[in-house]
Amino acid sequence: MTELSLTDPTTYPRKVLFVAGAGRSGTSTMAGLMRIMGLHVPQPEVVADETNPKGFGEPRWVVDHHDRLLKEAVVQVSDSRPEAWFETGRVATREHERIATAEWLESHFRVSTELVVKDPRLGWFLGLWRVAAVRTGATPVFATMLREPSEVVGSKQTYYANRLGSAHLAASWLNMMLHTERGTRESVADGGRVFVRYGDLLDDWVKTSMHVAETLQLQHVLHADSEQIREGHRFVDPGLRRMSQTLADLNLPSQLHQLTAATWDELNKLADKGGDTPAVHEALDQLREAYVDLYEESAAISRSSAVAAEQRIKRQRDLVPAGPGARGADRIPHGVRAAIPPSVRRGLRKVAGRDRPQGAQ
Amino acid sequence: MSPVGIQNLEGHPEFDVTWPWTRPGGLRPGATAVLRVKDEARSLPWVLPPLLRATDHVLVVDNGSTDGTAEVTAETAEKAGLAHKLTQATYPFQVARAGAEHLAQPERSVHSLSYFYNWCFAQVQTRYSWKWDGDMVLTTEGEVSIGDLGWQVGDVQTIIRVPRHGLYLESESKGYLDLGLRNAEEWGFPIGPDFVFAKAYEWEIRTTPDPVRSIGLPHGLCVELKYLDGDEFAHWTDPASFATSYRNKRKRREWTVYNALLEGTVLPGVHEITAPDGAHIVDHVTQEWLPRAPRPLEVGLPELAPGSPAQQALARREAAG
Repeated sequence: MTELSLTDPTTYPRKVLFVAGAGRSGTSTMAGLMRIMGLHVPQPEVVADETNPKGFGEPRWVVDHHDRLLKEAVVQVSDSRPEAWFETGRVATREHERIATAEWLESHFRVSTELVVKDPRLGWFLGLWRVAAVRTGATPVFATMLREPSEVVGSKQTYYANRLGSAHLAASWLNMMLHTERGTRESVADGGRVFVRYGDLLDDWVKTSMHVAETLQLQHVLHADSEQIREGHRFVDPGLRRMSQTLADLNLPSQLHQLTAATWDELNKLADKGGDTPAVHEALDQLREAYVDLYEESAAISRSSAVAAEQRIKRQRDLVPAGPGARGADRIPHGVRAAIPPSVRRGLRKVAGRDRPQGAQ
Repeated sequence: MSPVGIQNLEGHPEFDVTWPWTRPGGLRPGATAVLRVKDEARSLPWVLPPLLRATDHVLVVDNGSTDGTAEVTAETAEKAGLAHKLTQATYPFQVARAGAEHLAQPERSVHSLSYFYNWCFAQVQTRYSWKWDGDMVLTTEGEVSIGDLGWQVGDVQTIIRVPRHGLYLESESKGYLDLGLRNAEEWGFPIGPDFVFAKAYEWEIRTTPDPVRSIGLPHGLCVELKYLDGDEFAHWTDPASFATSYRNKRKRREWTVYNALLEGTVLPGVHEITAPDGAHIVDHVTQEWLPRAPRPLEVGLPELAPGSPAQQALARREAAG
C-alpha cells in the first residue's frame, strides 16, 4: 500500500463523502465547502439557479441516475411512505445498477482520491453507494445535514412552489430523516458518519467543517491551505438561512407535530459531540416505529381516497381511445395494422360491419 | 395446525410450537437470522460476526453438537462485542436427515425437519427472518446488503433470495471457490402465518401466499464453507441419492466438486485461491477476492444451466423414474 503523504493527495486513501439530508437543509453549502477544501465534485454538475444561487454541488450523472431509479421504484423525492425504502432498496439490489454506480465512482477516483457526492435524492440510495464504494476499494463516509423541520418545510414551499400541504412535507421529512439515520448507522464498510446542524455550519463553518474532517478523516480538509480557507469565508453566507418559522406555524395534526418535534430533538443530540449513542438510536427506533404506525393508520383511514384515485385513472384510460368515430382498429398501432395481410383486414372489416371508406387506399 | 401453534405428536408440551405473532405484544420491527446447527464450531467464528453486525438479532439453535459449538458461539459473539444480539437455544430431539429419513417422518413429529424449523422460527421476535446455515459466510458486500434490506423491508411481505457459492477449504491459506453453478435460494422471509414450514420430498419447504413478492441479491455475496478433510454429506441419509436427482442440483454439484478435489482435480468453474501471507483464506475470499472480483461475476457453467441439454436429459431421466 502507498504510504500516506500529507503533501501528496494522490497518496490519500480512496474516500467518498456522501452528503445526505432533506433538500433545503444546507446540503449544498456542505458540499460546496468540501469542494473548496479540496474534495472533488464529480463533473459535470447541475448548474446554479435562483433556488440555489451558489450552486448545488450535485453531479449531473448522480441526479439523472437517481431520477431514473426513483421512477423505476415508483418513489417520489419527497415520499412519506415507509415502504418506499424497500422499493428503492429493491432496485439497488440489481447487479447492473451496482455495476453502473461502481463504474461511475471508479472513473472519478481516477481524477481524485477524495470525492464528495450530494443530491437530495441520495438518502434513498445510500446502500447502493456503499456497495459501489466497497467495489472500488473506497471508504464511504456520511455527513447528514440537520435543519429545523419548520424551516425545511417552509423553504420547500417557498422555493418549489410546492402545492402539497405542510403535513405531507413534514411526513416526508420524518420518513427521510428517520430512515437516513438508520441507513447510516455503523457498517463494516464505513469510515464513520456525522450529523451537522445547518445553523452551526452558518454560524462557524471553520469549527464545524474541522469537526467533520476529523471525524471522517478527510485528508484534503485536514490539510487545506490558507487560500482555501479564505475562499470558504467568501462562500459561506450566514444570510443563506432565510427562513425563520416555528413548528407551530405549520399547523400540523397533533400526532404528526409531536413526532416531528421529538424526532428533531433526538436528531439534534446526534450532532452534539459524543452524542451518537445507542440510547439515541433506541429512541429514534421507537420514533420510526411510531411514524410507521401513524402512516399505516392514516393510509387505512384514507383508503377510499386511494381507491377513488385509482378508479379515476382507470376511467380516464378507458375513455382515451373512445373518441368520436374511434374504431377498434384505431387502438392498434399503424405499423401493426400495416403488417396484417389485406385479405385478413377485409375479413375483419366485414365481421365488424364496416365498409372501406370511398377512395381510401 | 391451530391458529396459535402446533402440538407435536410425541407429547412434549415444552416443545410445542407457539406462533410468535400470537404472543402478547406481537412482533417488533427488524430481522433475525436463525441458524440450526450441529457441530459447526469450525465455521461459526467466520459466520457469526458479519451476521451479528448485519441483523438485529441472531438465534443459534443447537441440535446435538459434540464439538463445543455452543461455547464457540458465545465466545465469538462476545469477542465481536455483539453478545447482546445473540440468543442460543437447544433442540434436544434427533432430527431426520434430508432425503428418505425425512420423507418417512410425519410433519408434526419433533423428529421432522419441518417441525424443527417451525419450532426454531417460532422463537423469533422480529417481523422479518433470515434462514441461515452454520457454514454460510457473508462477504463485505453481502453484509452491507443484508444489513440494509433488514430495515428497508419493514412490513413488506417479500421473499429475498441469496445466491451462495461453495468454498472448499484445503488449509488455512488455500481454498477452492466454486462459481460453476448459478444457484440462489430463498433465505429471507417475513414472520407470519403465510410463511411457515411444511413438508417437502427431501427436506422442509416454507409456505408462501399466492402471489408473493420475491427479490434476489446479486452473485458473490455469500460463501458456504466446505472442509476437504471433513464429512460434508453426513446430514444426508444416502449421499448417492442426489447423484441422479435433478431437483438436488446444488447437492449434486457439491458432491462432484468435492470428490474431484479430493482426487486432486479442479473442475471448470472452480477457482483455486491462495491467501496472501498472514491472511486466512476465508477472510481473504470474503473481504478481498469476491468484493473486488470484476462484475458481473462470471457464475454458472453452460452445461449446468437448467435449460442445457445435459440438465434436460437428467430431468427426463428422473421423470421416467
